[in-house]
Amino acid sequence: MTIHFLLILNRQGKARLVKWFNNDYSNQERQRYLSEIHRLISSRDDSKYQSNFVEYEQQHKLVYRRYAGLYFVFGIDLNDNELNYLESLHFFVEILDEYFNNVCELDLVFNFYKLYNILDEIYLGGQIQEISKSRILERLAYLDKLA
Amino acid sequence: MAPSQMKGLTQFIINLRNSNDSEEEAKRINLEINNIQTKFATNLNGYQQKKYLCKLVYIYLNGYHEGIEFGLKHAIELVDSQVYSEKQLGYLAISILANKNSSKIDLNNTLNIVYPILIKDLRSNNEDINCLAIQYIASNFNLSDNASYQIDESDENSSEWLELIDMTYSFVTSPIHKPIVKRKAIIALFALSKLYPKVIINNNNWIPRILTLIDDKDFDIVISSMPLVEYVVRLKPQFIKSIIPAIGLKLFNIVVEGKCPEEYYYYKIPAPWLVVGLLHLMEQFFLMKDKDIPVLCISNLDDQTLNNFRQVVSTSIQNASQSIKGLPNRNSQSSILFQAVSLAVFLDASEDAIHGAINALILLLNSPDTNTRYLALDALTKLTSRSNIPVGVDDTIPKLFQLLYDKDISVRRKALDLLYATCTPLTFSSIINRLLDYFPFSDFSLKSELGIKIAVLAERFATDSTWYVTTMLKLLSIGGGYNSNGVSYIGNEVWERIVQIIVNNEDLQQKTCKLIINLLKNPLVLSANGKSQPIQTGLSENLIKVAGFVLGEYGHLVNDADTQFQLLYESYFRVSLLTRAMLLSTFLKFLVKFPDNDFVPEIIDLFEIESKSMDLEIQTRAYEYLKLATISSNFELAQKTIKPLPAFVNVESSLLHRIGGYHDISRRKSRVLAKNIPRKSPTADITNGEDDTNPFDDTKTALSPNWYSGYYRMLHFDAGIFFESPLIKLTYRILKEGNNILIRFTIINNSAKTAGTDITKFTVLELESRAGDTDPSYLLNLKQVPESTIRDKSVLEIEIKVRSVIENNESPILSVTFMCGGSFNQLNLKFPVLLIKTLSATILGSEDDFEKRWLQIGELLGTNEGEYTTTVIPSASFTYPNIIRLLSRLGFAIVYASPENPPSNLLIKGAGILHTQKSNYGVLTKVKSIESEVQENGYNIVVRCTGGGIAEVIALTLKEILQEDL
Repeated sequence: MTIHFLLILNRQGKARLVKWFNNDYSNQERQRYLSEIHRLISSRDDSKYQSNFVEYEQQHKLVYRRYAGLYFVFGIDLNDNELNYLESLHFFVEILDEYFNNVCELDLVFNFYKLYNILDEIYLGGQIQEISKSRILERLAYLDKLA
Repeated sequence: MAPSQMKGLTQFIINLRNSNDSEEEAKRINLEINNIQTKFATNLNGYQQKKYLCKLVYIYLNGYHEGIEFGLKHAIELVDSQVYSEKQLGYLAISILANKNSSKIDLNNTLNIVYPILIKDLRSNNEDINCLAIQYIASNFNLSDNASYQIDESDENSSEWLELIDMTYSFVTSPIHKPIVKRKAIIALFALSKLYPKVIINNNNWIPRILTLIDDKDFDIVISSMPLVEYVVRLKPQFIKSIIPAIGLKLFNIVVEGKCPEEYYYYKIPAPWLVVGLLHLMEQFFLMKDKDIPVLCISNLDDQTLNNFRQVVSTSIQNASQSIKGLPNRNSQSSILFQAVSLAVFLDASEDAIHGAINALILLLNSPDTNTRYLALDALTKLTSRSNIPVGVDDTIPKLFQLLYDKDISVRRKALDLLYATCTPLTFSSIINRLLDYFPFSDFSLKSELGIKIAVLAERFATDSTWYVTTMLKLLSIGGGYNSNGVSYIGNEVWERIVQIIVNNEDLQQKTCKLIINLLKNPLVLSANGKSQPIQTGLSENLIKVAGFVLGEYGHLVNDADTQFQLLYESYFRVSLLTRAMLLSTFLKFLVKFPDNDFVPEIIDLFEIESKSMDLEIQTRAYEYLKLATISSNFELAQKTIKPLPAFVNVESSLLHRIGGYHDISRRKSRVLAKNIPRKSPTADITNGEDDTNPFDDTKTALSPNWYSGYYRMLHFDAGIFFESPLIKLTYRILKEGNNILIRFTIINNSAKTAGTDITKFTVLELESRAGDTDPSYLLNLKQVPESTIRDKSVLEIEIKVRSVIENNESPILSVTFMCGGSFNQLNLKFPVLLIKTLSATILGSEDDFEKRWLQIGELLGTNEGEYTTTVIPSASFTYPNIIRLLSRLGFAIVYASPENPPSNLLIKGAGILHTQKSNYGVLTKVKSIESEVQENGYNIVVRCTGGGIAEVIALTLKEILQEDL
């Protein structure tokens, strides 16, 4: 019941958000994962014939979805419920969309540091922490005011 | 809302993005690093520090890790800022800049850096600042489940870790903090517990409090606590039963009753993540094993709870059959459906129900939507492997083979999993053959798993040893290739396993030699399924390895050693060094077994050539073999070295460990061929496993103060007050019927009157039987669990079946926990489950009858076994008439009682029957006053019973009752 990582990659493979939820990956592994996962997922970019799920490295399941030019990718446990996390990605995207008021790739580039704060309110330590959209947005607005 | 931005940062990012090439980008970055370093040397305000650190983080995230180490120091300074956003960025910068590697040393180093600031921020009175520190812990001290290290008291900074854990725990249980702080602390505590599990194991009083989190009103607290609760239950499986009713009720309320606060709806679906999470948690519980025994099974659930779960599952399935608009709705609905189906098998669904589910899922295999096909296969795999009901044979298996060629590899993989899970003694041979046909066409990444699955299935279902060997050799022949990394598709385990089985099974040895010689002469040609040209299998290293081994060991059982040698010799220079080394040993065996054959000089030559090999292993072997063969005449020395291989002792197939997918699939009971193979002469006994009792386990439950008065009351009254405190009162009523006893507790909320509060989260934490594990003298069953929120009162029922004689020290302990007015309470109360509780009166015709029986027991069992005498000075309340009343209350028929006056030579005779499942026993007692004693009111209790040793049990119970004064 754990998210191991969340990646947002654009179609060229540039990472827009990289979050490793646990300490198990060395720097080299992280680099390798990024490029391999991009290659794997962009090769499956055909929603008609390809599912949104693919096993990776025999220990992770990737659940991913493309929004415009960005791939949103979760790495989850092999025994986890795929659809549940797929829909959670959508939930996350909706929150980004509302928070940034029509989110686009550049928002993620310029506000890269804010993404980590947003993640901490939804998926802390790889666990789903909050499932109410309104409460998350309220909380983010509140934290922005503290600044 | 427009998030506030740092201008300098934005400009820097724009400049970098405008770089023409990576060289220019690197240049700009190096310039900026220098610039930042200079700036930090000056006096910067908080905003500027934040901005520059943010740039460093950006640089780091873009892959430039060199030359920015100085940032960490400034990040730590920035955490000290009073401005929230600056502190926040300080934490982010630390977590990114300090998070270098994954070793224990790195982790401890990081702790040393951040410990002072974490402690300071955890102690802050500002909850937002608490949250930052807690979040840091949750995301940076989080190991994955298969991490290779843990912290314990031997670590130098274990006391720092312990302090963090204590502080985090106090947030979890704090009654004053907001739920959001609690939630984050729960997740942080989960991370820390994985890191330092002993804390949880040793802190027995933490566990009940952690477990009640799953019953919180706040949905977000429930969802945040699921991983922690699962983890704790894994450490202490005995507590599992306590939380199941709460989970069942919560699911029932959301799914069936539709009770869900508006803000937790996701589109039209109430709290889908919570529902799936709880169902998933239940599934994990059912799969959980403690020393190979499932920790939870359906008989552990009370009727109401079981009914709740069943309704949740059936409602989820019904909901999914109604069409609903919008992808988010459909996905959420299906995610619940598939999770519910995975759980259904454990809820003792009927075979019909499972067939129904299987058929519904099979229809989905034709869906045009790839996700649906994938998920249907996944659900079918779980269903068939857990229920042992295979999917329909006639139409489905061809469909599955079709799906092995699906466009999506994820679907292909799942189809393979399902074929594996659904294999039966009827279908195995066709499934295995088709999988072998599929092998050459399968994906490279699937081949290894495919090979193992074929091997395991062949071993599991083989009924004919020739078929088994043929199949396995075929697998090795076609799976001989290598992937681009030089790794064989077929793992070593596969060929090693075949060798093991052949060595242990004498009938196979000759047959296998013949088959191998044939295969080496005529390599397999695959029919290719009509797809393309027939495929010539190349030389298979795995086959050569087996050939080298088997022919070397058993080649003498078939004729024609020359051919054997030629076949192996031809392949010698076409195989890898490792295989060559094996073949050298084979040739040495040939030398010893066939010293007169023509190939002997060739072998000696080969040894000589190879003793100059570049490869050290080959060189060493060749040189040693050469010496063995040439030092003494007639290969005497070599003969002494080469001995037949003894039988393998370890018959567990290591292949099973390699099976991917669901763990429970491989556990399926099956006939493993090797186990049926008689062992030649086991060389060693299988060493007895270490006594793996957990030293932390079963610390005796400490009973709550004042437990005894209730226990004592229950010893002789069948109704009354069991426990009372200002918050709570438990009354009880005992209903007896033969060897069945029902205790009905009524739990009364005392605080309702005094403080006007409800009792919440009432949980039966544990019902700890002390009756022994192997052949328990009685069985306990929680028949009815009380409501979790008790406004006024609620009922708890415990059913007891007395199976055999209960010793007096075997009474169980009831542990309950509850919240009341913000305080957490736990009660551990022992209640008497004693043999005497099964006593019922016998009507004996007369006192003569009594005496006759009394003598019979004496003759039959003797006074040693059949009788027990003890002396008691009863407490003041037990006057003579009260003793008579007591005996009759306990269930004795009073056959005789001397008059109270004169108060000497008092004597009571009582008779009754004890009921146990195994047998009933007649019991007689005489209570007589002791005149000779100085103390007045002293009595002798003499008990005789038809069951050996039972008299003592009863007499001592009587004594305990009589002498207490409460």
